[in-house]
Amino acid sequence: MPRSSSISALGTLSVAALLIAAQGPGTRVTYRVRVVQDGVLELARGSVSGPAGTDLRFSLRSDSAEIEALFQIVPEGDTVLVAGEFFTKRRWGGGRSRRGLGLWEQDSYRRVVRLAWGDTARIHLFGRPRPSAAREAGLWVEVALVRGFSGGEGRPAEELQVTDSGTDISVEAVVRPRRARVIMNLVRGDTVSGPRGFDLVPEAPAHRVQLAMAGRTTTLEVGLARPEPSPSARDRVLALDADVVCLRVVAPDVAEPVGIICGRLNNVARRLPLPGGDTLVATFAWPAGR
Amino acid sequence: MSDGHETWLKQIDAELDGELSLVERAALAKHLATCAHCAGARASQLEVRVALARSAGDPHAHVVPRPIIRGRALAFWAVLALATGIAAGWLAHSRWGGPGGSLEDSRAAIVVH
Repeated sequence: MPRSSSISALGTLSVAALLIAAQGPGTRVTYRVRVVQDGVLELARGSVSGPAGTDLRFSLRSDSAEIEALFQIVPEGDTVLVAGEFFTKRRWGGGRSRRGLGLWEQDSYRRVVRLAWGDTARIHLFGRPRPSAAREAGLWVEVALVRGFSGGEGRPAEELQVTDSGTDISVEAVVRPRRARVIMNLVRGDTVSGPRGFDLVPEAPAHRVQLAMAGRTTTLEVGLARPEPSPSARDRVLALDADVVCLRVVAPDVAEPVGIICGRLNNVARRLPLPGGDTLVATFAWPAGR
Repeated sequence: MSDGHETWLKQIDAELDGELSLVERAALAKHLATCAHCAGARASQLEVRVALARSAGDPHAHVVPRPIIRGRALAFWAVLALATGIAAGWLAHSRWGGPGGSLEDSRAAIVVH
């Protein structure tokens, strides 16, 4: 589909530009976020920060609307290009289905704006206020973009204070791993090999590893890859698989793929049966020092 | 008795509208000759019709003239109704906006401050 293609192409370009920008001296990006109702009521206030390449995922849910957005930035000199991918669901008036269930409208679209570092972008979540409405009417999100030197701090950080419990608001840092810590074991019955850990880079050439168990050695070629784009439009738009990596496992003697293990960088062990009867257990985590 | 009069009063009405056959007119005339009540009602009906014909500007008409809607009056009222509708719609739209607006209007908008 043309729209999906253009979104994924733009997304790829954004990611590439961000990864290139991330090669520079340690820069830290901070999104300062305020959610304001009618200009006077502050529903939430917080910030998300992280190394260059950190995106902001925002969500707001109420009884009648759900708005999720991913804000990606591409620094260009003293300015920054902000691209927002929106995925929204809204209750359709008083409409109900034949079975009496509420009807919802679902929409996804993209907004792009250029601003200077330090500027504030006001995002009117339900469209610009009508000319006849009060100037400060409606709900909006203010996002101020600030950059500074990281001072060695590489981990993303999130903070949010929600003052209105009637609205579910969240902000998240979205960071695509440039490396991942992969810890592997071989398991057969009650026998477990010693763990072997590697820092692997996605899409880098495969790495040969040897795992010893019960007096014999198993050699495997492993490489890290990013997952295939999700079939769900929402998952793609909101980059819900940003921290998912896939381990491709090949048996070098037969040059044949053994299998693939995908998972988030969350220290959860995932298992892959090998042809000889062993099971490869792999755990993905963020690399140390992050 | 009353039902009989009701029937004859309807017949009088129909006769004055020219809707009775000769046989019915003959029966009515015969009744009127013997019923003072119905003869008086017929006279009253005739007086009312004369007054209506006069007010319509045709006192010598054979039957009560039907009201005529003049083209000019019709056009006037149609234009007035249209203008009132447009003005009310414009005022309502500027006050409350349209019914839901377009899809693009309902989507998020980013404004730089």
